[in-house]
Amino acid sequence: MTANQQSNEVTVKHRHRPEGPEKHILVFIFSIILTAIAFAAVMAGGVNATFAVILLLVMAVLQVFVQMGYWMHLKDKGHLMPILFMIGGFFVASTAIVMALFWVWW
Amino acid sequence: MTSHAEHVNGELPHEPEKATLEGRNKVLGFWLFLGGEAVLFGTLFATFLALRNQNNEGPTAGELFSLPITAVATLILLVSSLTSVFAIQAMHRHNVKSLINWLIVTVGLGLAFLGLEIYEFYEYIVHESFDMKTSAFSSAFYTLVGFHGAHVAFGVVWIGILIGQLYRKGLNVVTAPKVYVSAMYWHFIDVVWVFIFSVVYLLGKVA
Repeated sequence: MTANQQSNEVTVKHRHRPEGPEKHILVFIFSIILTAIAFAAVMAGGVNATFAVILLLVMAVLQVFVQMGYWMHLKDKGHLMPILFMIGGFFVASTAIVMALFWVWW
Repeated sequence: MTSHAEHVNGELPHEPEKATLEGRNKVLGFWLFLGGEAVLFGTLFATFLALRNQNNEGPTAGELFSLPITAVATLILLVSSLTSVFAIQAMHRHNVKSLINWLIVTVGLGLAFLGLEIYEFYEYIVHESFDMKTSAFSSAFYTLVGFHGAHVAFGVVWIGILIGQLYRKGLNVVTAPKVYVSAMYWHFIDVVWVFIFSVVYLLGKVA
């Protein structure tokens, strides 16, 4: 009985409507704006170095977040393990960066 | 037994890359690889950040970099990331022709990016006397940016081969995961470039 139901479920044709490009074009425009802010701040010159570092990092991290969320589908269902892999990777990477920034020229 | 390359109904499912266990495992395994890539690039960024001011009386970042070139390279790579999204959307519509066309556009933009980077490195080496051995800054710069460029080159070859495979074999549950995974790789290259233009080029002009 249950086996029968399962096999029925497998053969049901899911009529998906493929998602449109709108979201992805919005992500693209958002990325362009963030990139433009970063370039404009530096090219205008005369920005405080600490402020520039924070601004550049925030722009980069925001852009990476939306691109990984929408373009690499990390925001979709069933992506727990990929998210954990990426968090693990970024954790080790940031450990190396903190080490290099604060210990190498101590 | 149904043939491995065909769906039970002889019709391709909506997301052919996730139709088989093998396909799903490929995508999952590729995420593990990307986690490792994040570590690889993280350590190269760490080395660069530690050495970026050790210019050994050679050119400094502020003297060397030309932001308009970086801006064009950034735009090229960002657009190529969007075109590979369009390629995957075409794949989900089972439109092989459109899929191949978008992949060709993606590869073309990748080649344009590589051309720009080769021009940039050529200018530095020939006209600015800034090569791999000039300073700790130059070694760290070429290692980090060159490694990213090598990833772009690998992606161009990889996606180029996949285009040929799509021509010969068409879209099925075996080829679909390969295309999907190559698109993930391409997005990841763009993600790494976001940090490169921010940390290497823009920050180099500030401090």
